[in-house]
Amino acid sequence: MDDPIQRETERAEPPVLELAPDEFAELYRAHSREIFYLTLRLLGEPHKAEDASHDVFLKAYKKWDDFRGDASPRAWLYRIAINHCINLRQSWHSRNLVSGVDESVWDNATAKADSPLRVLEIKELGDRIQTTLDNLSDEYRLLLLLVADEELSYDEIAVLTRQTADAVRGKLHRARKAFAAHFDKTA
Amino acid sequence: MKQRTKLSQEQQNAETQQARQPAGREFASVDEMIRFDAAQTVVPPEIAQRLKKSTDSEPLPDRTWWRRFFGGNP
Repeated sequence: MDDPIQRETERAEPPVLELAPDEFAELYRAHSREIFYLTLRLLGEPHKAEDASHDVFLKAYKKWDDFRGDASPRAWLYRIAINHCINLRQSWHSRNLVSGVDESVWDNATAKADSPLRVLEIKELGDRIQTTLDNLSDEYRLLLLLVADEELSYDEIAVLTRQTADAVRGKLHRARKAFAAHFDKTA
Repeated sequence: MKQRTKLSQEQQNAETQQARQPAGREFASVDEMIRFDAAQTVVPPEIAQRLKKSTDSEPLPDRTWWRRFFGGNP
């Protein structure tokens, strides 16, 4: 039977979700750089990465209850980001759109506090890395970006890329060689 | 004044040297290079601002799992 007193007591309790925005902010602070960087290098354009990063964290916010804790929060965010980027890329390809990159937007993707020379050099390095990654297969590109994050284990990368850890190791070896070969050509 | 000029020049040289270091440095591996690139990448503050607006208009999420990672009460 419905107990009005109990119901009132439940209503009187402080809302358990009250701190959620702070905790979400902490999650964002802890992982936003890695998610933004992944989307930046997968999508190739800062403003698209900005949109994608926003969408990834918003999805995470909405899907709290889907997260079972069987992966780290970062791996979970990567999963959302990878799927989101794959969907975006497929959508662009299906529409056969060729995006014109506004070179000025790259200026916002490098450390603003650094000296102009350093920014220029970092930008150049970033451009070369982007060009190199764009010349690799989707799988190699993703593997290299994930393995660069030292917080991810090979097992987590294997789950994220839907293959065994041994397969990841083997492909990474070839991906690194391919990257190095392409990178030299960008000099 | 001369001393200051000399010091300033030395400082400038040191800063230039430091500034050149990232591009001049050799990376031990592809992973290290990408890691360095990632570390230099600044997340645009606009994302957090947009996210704040977006989440403000969303109902608060279930925080059950959230507690496990942030040490709150279950």
